[in-house]
Formats: sequence, C-alpha cells, structure tokens
Amino acid sequence: MRQQFQIALYLLPALLLVTVFFAIPLVAIIALSATAWVGIGVPRFVGLGNFLTLFSDPAFLLAIRNTMVWVVVGAFIHTPLCVLVALVVARKPPGWKIFRTVLFLPNIISGTALALLWYFVFHVSLGILNGGLAAVGLKSLARNWLFDPDTALAATLTPWIVYVGFGMVLFLTQISTIPQEYYEAAKIDGASTFRQDWSITIPLIRRAIALQLIFVVGYALRSFEYPFIMTSGGPANSSITLSLYIYRQMITAHQYGLAMAAGLITILIGVVFVAGVFWALRRAER
Amino acid sequence: MSVAAHIFRWVVLTVFTAITLVPLLWLLLSAFKTNTELFASPFGLPAHWSFNNFVNAWNAHPLYLYMRNSLGAAALSAAIIIVASLMASYALLHQFRLNRTTFGYLMFGILLPVNALMTPIFFIVVFLNLYNSVVGLSLVYAGLFFPLGFLVIKTYMDTTPEAILEAARLDGAGFHDIFFRIIVPLTAPGAVTAGIFLFITAFNELLFASILTTDTDAQTMQVGVRYFLTTYAANYPLAFAATVIGIAPTVVVYILLSDRIVEAMTAGSIK
Repeated sequence: MRQQFQIALYLLPALLLVTVFFAIPLVAIIALSATAWVGIGVPRFVGLGNFLTLFSDPAFLLAIRNTMVWVVVGAFIHTPLCVLVALVVARKPPGWKIFRTVLFLPNIISGTALALLWYFVFHVSLGILNGGLAAVGLKSLARNWLFDPDTALAATLTPWIVYVGFGMVLFLTQISTIPQEYYEAAKIDGASTFRQDWSITIPLIRRAIALQLIFVVGYALRSFEYPFIMTSGGPANSSITLSLYIYRQMITAHQYGLAMAAGLITILIGVVFVAGVFWALRRAER
Repeated sequence: MSVAAHIFRWVVLTVFTAITLVPLLWLLLSAFKTNTELFASPFGLPAHWSFNNFVNAWNAHPLYLYMRNSLGAAALSAAIIIVASLMASYALLHQFRLNRTTFGYLMFGILLPVNALMTPIFFIVVFLNLYNSVVGLSLVYAGLFFPLGFLVIKTYMDTTPEAILEAARLDGAGFHDIFFRIIVPLTAPGAVTAGIFLFITAFNELLFASILTTDTDAQTMQVGVRYFLTTYAANYPLAFAATVIGIAPTVVVYILLSDRIVEAMTAGSIK
C-alpha cells in the first residue's frame, strides 16, 4: 500500500504535464469546436456550424490541399531522397562522417532562421536562385518566386525537400543493424551495389521508412515557419497550411471556436494518416 | 564498384552538401556587408570584414533579453522534463495494475500534431496567469516535448540490470534511496542526451513563443529575429547579423558535440 502511494507520487509531475498540455487541450478542442467564442463571455453552442463555415472557406480548403501536398511531397520526394543519401553514406565513402555531420546541421538550426535563409535564396534580386539562373544564361526563367501564385507553395516546400539529414540518420541507424554477411553473400553471387541496396537494404529498413513517414505526416501538419516567414501563406493563400490557418483564425480574427474546429480537423487528418502508415507496415511485415 | 556508380555517389554527396552549406555561407558573408554592398554585389565577398552589423544588431533590439529568455526557457523546460521523466520512468519500473495504461497515457501526445492544440493551450496559459512570461513558455515546452524526453530516458533506464535493484533492496535501501543513489546516477547519460536534444528543440521553437508572449521581457530569439525583417526591411545585413547571433548557440553546441547530438535527436525514435 505504501509503495503504491510512492509510485503515484513519482508519477505525479509527468501526469500533470501530460494532463494540462495534452489531455485537457484535446478535450477542450473537441468540446469547444462546436461553439462560437470570441475569448470573453460564455461560448455559444453552434453545433456543426463551425465545420460548415470551414468547409465553405476557400482559404481553409486551400490549407487542407496544401497540407496534403506537404504530406505527398514528403512521402514521395523527400523520403526517397533521404533513402538515397543514406544508402550512399552507409557505404562509408572517404569523409562520410563529415558529410553526415554537415547534412544533419539544418536540424539544429531554428526553422525561423532556415525560413529566413530560403526567403533570400528565392529573393527576386538578391537570391542565389535568380543569380544562378542568370549566370548560366537562363535569365528568362528567373522570376519573383515567393510572390507568384504558381511557385510560392513549391518555394516553401523546397527547404523541407532538400534537408535530408534527419531521415538519413534514421535510415543509417537501421542500416547499421543489417548483418554484413548478407552483402558478402550477394557480392559472391555477383550482385551490383545498386542491386544489393535495392534487394537487401531497402526491404530491411521498412520499419525506419514507416517511422519516417509518420514523422513526415507530423511535420506536414505542423508546418508553420516556412509559409509564415517566406510568404505569409500568400499570395492569395496559395501557400497557406493548416497550422498557419489556425494561427490566423486565432491571432488575427479572434475566432476561437473556429480555430479549435480547424485544430480538431488537423488532428483527425493526422490520426487517419498515422493509422494508414501502421496498416501499410503491417501488410509489408506479413 | 563501377565508374558510373562512383561518379553518381560523389554527385549525390556534393549536391546535398552544397544545398545545405551554400545558403548558410551566403548569410554569413552577407552579415558582414553594408546594405549598398549587398545590393551591388549579392554574391561577392564583403569589402571590409567589420563587425559593425553585429554590434548594431545587438543594440538595435534588446537581443540580449531575447537570448536570455530563449536560453532560460530552453534550460528550464529541459530540466522539468528530465526530472519528471526520471521520476515517472522509475515509478514504471515497478509492477502495478495500470502500468501499461499509464505508459500509454504519458506517451499518446507524441502522435498529436501539437500546433493543432495552440488555441486551448493559449487559454490554459492565460488562465494560469502565466501569459507573457518565460516560466509560462517553459511549462508549455515542458508539456509539449515531454513525450520525446520521456521516451529517451525511459528506454535508457529500462536497461538497468534488475539484479542491482534486487541487491539494493536486500541491503534494506528504501524506495527513495534506490532512486537517488542508484537509478539517477545510472540513468544520467541518458538524461544528458535527452537534455541536449530538448534544449535545442525548445530554443528553436517559434509558434508557441509568438502566441504566448508580447513583451521583450518574455520574447525569445526566434520571435525577436523576425522584427529585424519587419522593422528594418531596408537594412537586410542587420537582420542577417541578428540571425547569425540567433543560431550561434546551437551551432556552437553542435560543433562541440555533433556525434552525440545526431545520436540524441534520433535515439528515442528508433527504439
């Protein structure tokens, strides 16, 4: 009995943190998503009104579409690049540790600074991109990337696509657990490096790939700094994301009920995607 | 390995290294230029290596306050998470009825996109009377990043040999004695790993820092750096210098401890 009390005592700080910052907000978001509330007074029950408002708001629909683009681009462009670089680094070419350290560097720099950095990469007159295009005689392709509705979303996605460090390390960690004998046997059979990677390494890192996809979904649903700093979600909401939409409803419009309804939809999208990844992994394990 | 494969490998490494480093070097070089120089030759070397921009940036906005708040919030939140995680992981080493349920409850937040919770968390902080304070921000970080730190620390603590605990119990050591004399020292390396990672994560956070603070007394580096773009739009090099100052702490820590940090930031996830 005494020990049970002691166990409870030791659990208390952790339980408090999780209850105050995850459980209560989650319950609040579910309850208050059905209300209209401007921050003072009593929230007024509006049923599904917020959801109807959201789904008839073009900005919200664009936010959902763009967040989906973040997920798709993360899964089908960013992740394969992470795998590619991991496969190269895993072969331990000269200086591989330096490459690993450099490629991981963006993960310890704030999203704010990186977004600012890429704002200037795409800058119309100072940017490396337009400068580089001019240098190779393709000046006609230069444009105002961040203020063009056709390119703003792609520009905000670019840093995320090319910073492969985190996924690379994730895959390297799992590659290092693969027994060396597999590769030696394959070499004796005359399999090329590419063949070894394709038939041995990639199937054996499927768990890490599943994990990476869960991170991709999480990151896409949290994507905020790049659109916020590079484009403010513009022009004409063409690069807005769900996080930025919630931020705007809350900070600019003070529509708290609406912001919570948008938050709830964000969470539901996350649940569906994560469940999908687990389901796919289950099938692959069979 | 064929020549083509060899060339391909080096192309991949070179391209990704260049994409990572070139913009950063551009930022660093530009932070030394004057505004006129920047627009005249955006890709050249600065004419003079002067630290004027850094000095001016430091004086233009209270960067030292932003830095103090960022370091404070990062350190305090990491400390809270480490203490709470050590205690909870120790509690979960014991058998009791709701053991697995408790673990699940403590971890469920790791799968939530936390930005979706920004609205209720804002009101909780206001309700606790902690709006616009470094302590409030630290508590929010401690809550949001708790599952990440907890996972690393629990995984590490779970490798403690049961025999050591048995021996201590036979010697008559009590519940608290075992925690302070055996568990905490043995789990210290795991706690340090988690601490470094949590510190960097909290230091770099922008969204919650910007919705939970309004005064320079509580605002962080990430929030402050943005002012240089909005209020000094005409003077980019000043904004660059402020950004360089803002990323310096984590980059310095990374240069000193890169292997450990790479391990720390992926350790919890792979297990």
